[in-house]
Amino acid sequence: MGIYESLNERLYLDKIVEFSKKKKVPVFYGTIWYYLGGVSLFLFITQVVSGILLLLYYQPGVATAFESVRFIVSKVEFGWLIREIHSWSANLFIFFVFIHMFTVFFAKAYRKPRELTWFSGMLLLFLAMGFGFSGYLLPWNELAFFATKVGSDIAGSIPGIGDFLLRLLRGGDEVSGATLSRFFGIHVAIIPAVFTVLLGIHLVLVQVQGMSIPPELEKVPEKDRRYMPFFPNFALRDVLTWLIILNVVALLAVFFPWELGVKADFLAPAPPGVKPEWYFMFMYQTLRLLPAHVWFIEGELLGILTFMVGGLIWFFVPLLDKKAKVGERSKFWNWFGIILIIYMIAMTIWGYLV
Amino acid sequence: MKSLQLLGAILIFMGFLVAEQSNPKEDACIRCHKEMDEEQEEGQKLFPDILNDVHLKRGLSCADCHGGNPEAFDDEDEAMWENDTFGGEVSRTDEIVMCGSCHSDPRFMRQYSTAIRTDQVKQYWTSKHGMELKRGNEKVAICTDCHGVHGILPVDDPRSPVYDMNVPSTCSNCHSDSEYMAEFGIPTDQYYKYRKSVHGEALLDNSDTGAPACNDCHGNHGAIPPDVSHISDICGTCHVNNDKLFQESHLKPIFVKRGFGQCEACHGNHGILKPTDEFLNWDHGSVCVQCHRDKGGEAKIMADQFYTLLDSLKGQIAIANTFVEKADQKGMEVSDLLFPLEEAHKVLIQTRTSIHSFNKDYVEEIAKPGFEATQAAITGGKKALEEFDFRRKGLFISSLIITFLALALYLKIKDIEKKQSKDKS
Repeated sequence: MGIYESLNERLYLDKIVEFSKKKKVPVFYGTIWYYLGGVSLFLFITQVVSGILLLLYYQPGVATAFESVRFIVSKVEFGWLIREIHSWSANLFIFFVFIHMFTVFFAKAYRKPRELTWFSGMLLLFLAMGFGFSGYLLPWNELAFFATKVGSDIAGSIPGIGDFLLRLLRGGDEVSGATLSRFFGIHVAIIPAVFTVLLGIHLVLVQVQGMSIPPELEKVPEKDRRYMPFFPNFALRDVLTWLIILNVVALLAVFFPWELGVKADFLAPAPPGVKPEWYFMFMYQTLRLLPAHVWFIEGELLGILTFMVGGLIWFFVPLLDKKAKVGERSKFWNWFGIILIIYMIAMTIWGYLV
Repeated sequence: MKSLQLLGAILIFMGFLVAEQSNPKEDACIRCHKEMDEEQEEGQKLFPDILNDVHLKRGLSCADCHGGNPEAFDDEDEAMWENDTFGGEVSRTDEIVMCGSCHSDPRFMRQYSTAIRTDQVKQYWTSKHGMELKRGNEKVAICTDCHGVHGILPVDDPRSPVYDMNVPSTCSNCHSDSEYMAEFGIPTDQYYKYRKSVHGEALLDNSDTGAPACNDCHGNHGAIPPDVSHISDICGTCHVNNDKLFQESHLKPIFVKRGFGQCEACHGNHGILKPTDEFLNWDHGSVCVQCHRDKGGEAKIMADQFYTLLDSLKGQIAIANTFVEKADQKGMEVSDLLFPLEEAHKVLIQTRTSIHSFNKDYVEEIAKPGFEATQAAITGGKKALEEFDFRRKGLFISSLIITFLALALYLKIKDIEKKQSKDKS
């Protein structure tokens, strides 16, 4: 008995193979957006692998974190490449996850029966941003130190739970060695564990429910729709996209390396140009622009509350978009999405210009 | 409860104490003269800052210097003219004695500070100002000319005329006034020169209170022009190494013998500029040629050697900097190379200092680690650039492989799809 047969008896591989053979992908003007989920998955795997390699040398701690990263990039063979790939794939990961989210939004792919896929995807996005925020501090350099200070200050302004959240994040009143240990734990254990479970659910849901098509395409009779088999056609195209992304990551790693900067110093004044990572910039810039008081409420508090409410609305959009439920496009939600994208891009650019 | 009441009582009492300290008790002299002052124009007022006066704040009154009765609020005669202790305006000669009556009494002054000095008057009489005053010349500076009269502030108060940064302009009030100074026959351009000097810039522009003001070289209460033979001792107070090397050099006895002003001979005095390596450039701006007018000889050889040594060390540092900066711009991690670069800079400064030994072997010995450090930085910089080149080539090769794979995959997909559409049809 061959290995396949032996495994098949135990794992029912035939059923998976059968499922794969039947699995098909709709072919239409928006097929290209289907690759974004795969690209995000590829970048996540890249991060897991490069992250594990970095873990072999990285030493959390005020006295060792910066030094160990410097050791990795200057002394460890190809250590620089691993760190660059980890950093660049992290940024590209969030970039593609955002695009993936918006394409899903505009394709109305969150409508019944895929609400859970949307919810799990949104949670994965939040976790991805958490990955970014916690990982940014780990090299323990000056910019990361002050960006974390500003970021956790903002979290501390959330009404009700702000103080608790601030202390939970920092492990004390100030950003310190305790914060570094905490962020390390969050970055390499807590978020990955939750992320893996959610990613599993997200992928299973995608496989079980198949690819969604836009509402207007649903009206086309089944016999007139075009499909391509998932195996091998779509899977090979996925791999092709991954190869292109891998090339881009390598190019960025060599020509646009991430500076290590100078080691964080508790006593040093904040250097000029402390900015959060680009995916937090639209929120940061908004908070900066708000006046100290808007009517009777503090400007910053108003901003945070608006983002919280906005985030909740966005999260629950599958339940709020009544038209999508009946297979129609809602003009309101379309404009909501378009304005949101314009706002995010404009605020991000503004944030970097000032 | 009782303890709370007790605590409250203590706090109220302490409040009174604080209030008492910050509000000097009512004084008849101040009350009247303040009223008179109000009718005066700005600049004519007798004591616009009296309430800030350090003496008043410590409990001394006008009567402690001028006599009179400070409690005679309603009777001017009793306050002044009919009071035996009233002395009125203090003469310039008497003022030294009057100030000294407290400031030269260690037992009295100790109550305000154990670190306070009490030798000012003694020093003053040894100063040029004091000696002139003794001869009857009242144009010289006395205590109040520098410290102010009514409204004297502690010397560490930035508003005080004798605060470090205010000393040069306070001295210049008299010393830059050519008409006033005419009878003394001394220059009046000291402040002008000092203002542009390295010390003046440090103190007045950069607020570096470690930089010397007039009193740091001339003394304050015992102010006197430094003796030519002791100039290096004065400069050496701050420039310790330069002084030590010069004292041990073969030039020291020659300077003494010929009466040269040691440090001053090359660096000048009030207008000392930041020394440059051009001091050693025999053909352009060398200070050596001021004395060595023979256009050659041992002095020229030594100056040329020093100049070349400094020039080549600077050149090496510049080369090392270029390599490290280039590697840094390409994103290479070069922070390790900053240490040898810093070391080289340090050695360059030490080498410049070592010139004061006028000993070629010693100077070369000092400069040696600088050359070693720059060499290490150059090697490291080159290695980093080679590594970048390796990365670029590596990227090119791996990118080529990935592109080839992608292309092959694309052709394979096309092939599969072609077969699939053939099968369908």
